[in-house]
Amino acid sequence: MTRKQKRLSIILGGLVFLGAATTLTFVALGQRTSYFYMPSDLSEGTVAPGQQIRLGGLVQDGTLVRGKGATVTFDVTDKKKAVKVTYTGILPDLFREGQGVVVEGSFGSGGTFVADSVLAKHDERYMPKAVADGLKAKGVWQAD
Amino acid sequence: MWFWVVAALLTLGSCFAILWPLMRPLKGASADGSRGGAYDIEVYRDQLSELERDSAGGLISPAEAGEARAEIARRILRADQKHAAEKPAAAGRAGRWVVTVAILAVPLVSWGLYSALGSPGLPGEPLAERLAKNPADSSVGELVARAEAYLAKNPSDARGWQVLAPIYVRMNRFGDAVSAYRNAIRLGGDSGKLEAGLGEAMAGAEGGVISAGAEAAFHKALQLEPSNETARFFLATAAAQDGRPEEAAENLRSMLAGLSPDSPWRGPVNEALAELSGNSASSSGSGNTAEPAPGPTAADMKAASGMSGANRLKMIEGMVASLDRKLKENPADPDGWRRLVRSYHVLGKEKEAEDAVRRGVAALGAGTGEAKDLQAFAVSLGLARTE
Amino acid sequence: MVETGHFALVLAFAMALVQSVVPLVGARTGNERMMAVGVPVALTGFLLTAMAFAALVSAYVQSDFSVANVWENSHSLQPLLYKITGTWGNHEGSMLLWVLILTFFGALVAVFGRNLPLSLRATVLSVQGWIGAAFFLFILLTSNPFRRIFPAPIEGRELNPILQDIGLAIHPPLLYLGYVGFSVAFSFAVAALIEGRVDAAWARWVRPWTLAAWLFLTGGITMGSYWAYYELGWGGFWFWDPVENASFMPWLAGTALLHSALVMEKRSALKIWTILLAILTFSLSLLGTFLVRSGVLTSVHAFATDPSRGVFILCILTLFIGGSFILFALRAGNLTAGGLFHPISREGALVLNNLFLTTAAATVLVGTLYPLVLEAFSNNRISVGPPYFALTFVPVMIPLLLAVPFGPLLAWKRGDLLAVAQRLYFAFGAALVVVLGVLLFVDRHAVLAACGIGIAVWLIFGALTDIALKSGIGKVGPRIALRRFLGLPRSMYGTALAHAGLGLTLLGILATLTFQAEKIVSLKPGDTVTVAGYTLTFKGIVADRGKNYTEARAEFPFTDASGQPLGVISSAKRIFVASQTPTTESGIRTIGLGQLYLSLGDADKDGSYVVRVWWKPLVTLIWFGGLVMMAGGAISIFDRRLRVGAPSARRAKAGLAAPQPSS
Repeated sequence: MTRKQKRLSIILGGLVFLGAATTLTFVALGQRTSYFYMPSDLSEGTVAPGQQIRLGGLVQDGTLVRGKGATVTFDVTDKKKAVKVTYTGILPDLFREGQGVVVEGSFGSGGTFVADSVLAKHDERYMPKAVADGLKAKGVWQAD
Repeated sequence: MWFWVVAALLTLGSCFAILWPLMRPLKGASADGSRGGAYDIEVYRDQLSELERDSAGGLISPAEAGEARAEIARRILRADQKHAAEKPAAAGRAGRWVVTVAILAVPLVSWGLYSALGSPGLPGEPLAERLAKNPADSSVGELVARAEAYLAKNPSDARGWQVLAPIYVRMNRFGDAVSAYRNAIRLGGDSGKLEAGLGEAMAGAEGGVISAGAEAAFHKALQLEPSNETARFFLATAAAQDGRPEEAAENLRSMLAGLSPDSPWRGPVNEALAELSGNSASSSGSGNTAEPAPGPTAADMKAASGMSGANRLKMIEGMVASLDRKLKENPADPDGWRRLVRSYHVLGKEKEAEDAVRRGVAALGAGTGEAKDLQAFAVSLGLARTE
Repeated sequence: MVETGHFALVLAFAMALVQSVVPLVGARTGNERMMAVGVPVALTGFLLTAMAFAALVSAYVQSDFSVANVWENSHSLQPLLYKITGTWGNHEGSMLLWVLILTFFGALVAVFGRNLPLSLRATVLSVQGWIGAAFFLFILLTSNPFRRIFPAPIEGRELNPILQDIGLAIHPPLLYLGYVGFSVAFSFAVAALIEGRVDAAWARWVRPWTLAAWLFLTGGITMGSYWAYYELGWGGFWFWDPVENASFMPWLAGTALLHSALVMEKRSALKIWTILLAILTFSLSLLGTFLVRSGVLTSVHAFATDPSRGVFILCILTLFIGGSFILFALRAGNLTAGGLFHPISREGALVLNNLFLTTAAATVLVGTLYPLVLEAFSNNRISVGPPYFALTFVPVMIPLLLAVPFGPLLAWKRGDLLAVAQRLYFAFGAALVVVLGVLLFVDRHAVLAACGIGIAVWLIFGALTDIALKSGIGKVGPRIALRRFLGLPRSMYGTALAHAGLGLTLLGILATLTFQAEKIVSLKPGDTVTVAGYTLTFKGIVADRGKNYTEARAEFPFTDASGQPLGVISSAKRIFVASQTPTTESGIRTIGLGQLYLSLGDADKDGSYVVRVWWKPLVTLIWFGGLVMMAGGAISIFDRRLRVGAPSARRAKAGLAAPQPSS
């Protein structure tokens, strides 16, 4: 190989690698991002059971039930529609009824949302960003 | 004074730091090495000695070492030629005005910017110092802080909480007042006075609206001390708020009858009575011409709620005005501003509400987290869109 | 005192302005006196900034609530340590810490830069001055920590309780030392572009600075990860959270820079690329600084709530990132190309390393910024989580990790891949044995994890092989080998340690993810739970109080499989008095290299508590690996090669006599 050919093959190799990385990135962005939903977005039947999503809203007052062991159920609502959520584990410190929450997980067979993780607001002055926007967009929440 | 001296010294020192190298004579050696060539050679020489070490230690093969040595030698030759071609830099005069501007800029920029941003008149106020001051010179806030510091250390001192609680109410810190009263009751036992105070604090926290919790506290106060004026007065107010003006008026009248001639309650009770009668007159004139039926009818309920609305409105307006007054005296109270904004908003006085937002932001300091919270709050109410 | 600090800060800004103009004009016009101005100005600037910072710290210590920043982030009841650390636990204070570090590094360049050509040092100081001036102005106009309140409130709002932790006291300063350390490399890069030439001393200077910055950044990330692990109570050590990514991107780019600067120093090759990387790394650091503190990332709308700050940040980013790239495009062509090399060589391996690392940084960047961009343009909210990174970042890293042990063994210029592969037989064998061992004895289905652990072992043994071969173990007698081992240049230990540390971290991550055991149970006092052979008994709740919190602490005496008591783990729910914020303190006990991790949940009406217990095998290796990497970096910094004297008249003459190719 001449020097020129050598250089060319190196550049080609680099480009192929970068191309592969770019393709991977696009595929991953297309498939593997968990989308954020509010309960009333879900009425359109957009989410298949088992699909990993994030669901945000307020914890409906009076719906928090501690079941057997460490399992809890509660409703997440955007004041238009509510979704029943079950979660096994420890709720975050700032989890409270009437407060904003984001749960990550998927719908089980019975239409109940099974959460793998529950995120509550980080401090007293903070409402999960996506939740606040979503609720504001629906006109059902006012900061207080 | 002290501050200005320090500031002047700092400025002088900074200017001197710029002047110093400009006044020093140039050293001959540095003139020779100001350009890169000599430095490059130094680095290459170092690389060469490092190479010798590595090859002596057997870290690289002799062939590799030879090749690297040749390469470094070539670099040294090149750098050497470059070095020879470099002329010692002539100290240009072009930069003189740059230096002058730079030295002038230091005092101008710093004093100019500081006069726009700083608050030279404000001394620092370390907490310990403020608390150690003679109590007579202390503000109410400082006295309260001192009491708080004491109670933080002795949280089970019921008397302390008992003293502090009404002060909180006077300072509009209703939330703190509620917990202080609760502590006093929990630690020192119940009394009519404390329960009535708790109720008053709770009502204050709700902007004057007497909640079920506050009402319960007043009832408890009356159980413990049937003649407690505060409780009786607020319960009457509660009745008025709930749309039972007759009951309210009756309660007030019976309370008035029992009051001693020099009681401070006479004034407020008479005022409230006058207000109540005025209101019922105006509301009865406003359309509800039918004779009150023996039992409550749907129409009655409606009228009553209308009446209570008007009634409540008046009460709230009084409360709001007093809150506004208090905030003028003690503006560093974010919760107070928030309550004021909300109250005006609820009353439909958008102009006053927006004005309160502006005043609150100014009082809390524009750009602070507090002020921003207040603005965000206002925006959430649909106010202050211009912000 | 407070106002003196404020004035010192304003004055420091004025000095930064002088620093950004005078030395540069001197360098361009050849005026040595003006070049020399940079040194005292940089020193004064640092002293003034230090004064301002000290004033702020003292306001915090004294609970001076007439300072708005203190009032917002401190409370008179906070322990002294957290009063002090509260200084940088907020946006304004942390920005002040940032410029303090910047001016400190500027002062170091000024003091230790005697072996740099005068004009290079002057230009570098000026570029540092630009960065400083921009940040001082940003602080003074939009994030002033010295804003006063009158009348002063009597009590402050509290520092966010989850930040009241020793981990968070150290984490931000380390991270900033890293971010700001890269500013020196950036200044050198921009200076080289302005001067249109790259001095031989350039790479020798950039490398230790990059090493130091990288070392601190590694420490910051390690610390942050451990903090998240024990403080957030989920037992997770990395969440691919935007804030974490913000520190990880400059780390990846900085690691690449570290390696390319090596090629540049040794072979004068890759000059243009190294300069580009230096610019890139600092750009990512700037992005990281702003992403963490100013909420640009959590929300594009942060601009709406605080337009002045957001616009200012955008201006700084555009100015420095955009400006330096334009300068690069204009001037990079002027730089001369360096030595040639064969693709299979040390240089080739380092180029490969750079390619993979920058690509990895790019995937992280895309994953971090994509949701932002998407939301800004389409109002679609998405969140990019671990699955994305598993599909992009991980495949990019695997070939890199496989290649790592080859790099240090390849010769410069032209290497022999086959010979190197033969030398690595032992490391490969060790990795294979471990993979098979994991599959046979631990879990026969964990094929991927076993391979990953194999890669970790490959890295560790590869590093050991490198050192063993260089000291000639097996080839020469043990005494000579020991002498050679002790006489190795320090950077070689550094390389081996850093690579081995990477392997250790990888081992910890994989072992924890694959083999951790977890139980979530509801316990009443007296109940027991068994995890991975350890039996924990819930003894009950003890009420306790700290300086500014009250806590309910659950105590769990525990025993190993044989019933031997091992002590007590306790986890607590705390309520901070001032803000009434609840937090959970998780209970952690290190046993060997693993940890027993216990997190307390809420009480039920019947007095039982939800408790989550993990056994995390080898988990400490995750952070221990980070420490080993840091140790590697630290040892490399002290390599004697990185210290070059300034030319004196005498030595310069000797230098002229030296160039006689002796081969």
